[in-house]
Amino acid sequence: MVKDIPPHHPIDSFLHAGSIPSVWCPGCGIGTVVYAFLKALEEKEIDPRRICVVSGFGCTGKVAEYLNIESSNSTDGYVIRHAATRLAENKNSRVVVYSDNADLLKSGAQDFIEMGREGLNLLVIHINNFVYVITEHRVFPITPFMRTSSDNRFELPFNIPHLAESSGATYIARWTPFHAGWLKYSIMDALSRQGFSVIEVISPCLMYYASTWRIGDAVERMKFYDDHTVMKQGESVENLDIRAHDRIIIGKFVN
Amino acid sequence: MKTEIHTLKERCKGCLICVELCQAEVLGVSDEVNKNGYHYPYVKKIEACIHCGMCEMFCPDFAIWVTSKEEEAIV
Repeated sequence: MVKDIPPHHPIDSFLHAGSIPSVWCPGCGIGTVVYAFLKALEEKEIDPRRICVVSGFGCTGKVAEYLNIESSNSTDGYVIRHAATRLAENKNSRVVVYSDNADLLKSGAQDFIEMGREGLNLLVIHINNFVYVITEHRVFPITPFMRTSSDNRFELPFNIPHLAESSGATYIARWTPFHAGWLKYSIMDALSRQGFSVIEVISPCLMYYASTWRIGDAVERMKFYDDHTVMKQGESVENLDIRAHDRIIIGKFVN
Repeated sequence: MKTEIHTLKERCKGCLICVELCQAEVLGVSDEVNKNGYHYPYVKKIEACIHCGMCEMFCPDFAIWVTSKEEEAIV
């Protein structure tokens, strides 16, 4: 039974309002990213029938279920290939991909590199929350710096903008949900151009890194973004590694 | 300029980002809970609102928004 909530919010026309509140934790950054995306559609006056949203697996994969615009859900690791199929079906629409770490770096890494080299007309919004839940005590591509596995190995986290630039992406940016205004203009910018665009959004998970990074609740998480980021527009993508004691560099890098 | 803040309290999950980010301290935390058991924000002093839109932009649950209407000119 659909709950009876009258559609009042300015972007409620893009949402299945009966499904809200969503399954995301209180203060999760994914909701802010979705708001920025929908507000970008509204301000740029893009016809929502010309937009197709594809999302994958896990918390990020729930994005497609809440949107009233054409959207579909793919299986684990096939999100870029699924988006390529949707793009081949209707060439006039802009396909937006919401992906998480497994979709882009583990099982879907081949598609990400391959489709980037082909120069498909996709906008990939990668929500990087440093979580790959199946491998709780193993090393995975985006393991935060100095977080060891159960057998005391550690890895450096993957530099996603560098990978995207090597694959041939034409628009690369990195933001956090605290910089939602910048993120909105970045999405508007990326929607207005052709080619393979990658926007990475760093959003530490409130469940899994609350104790490791000493992030308490959602308000402290916002202050964490404010303290631990520095904006450098046009920075070279080789310098964008995420280390625990450095500041996270955000901005628009390739344009 | 006359602003108005609308909230949908049943959507709120009580993260209180809006209360923290409001520089004018317009919003306060309610003593009551909604049907999911969260303390939702309420409008404490609307006359201080400057319509920056921070609460609307950062709400992850699409539960709060701000509108404004021009005040009628006093003849």
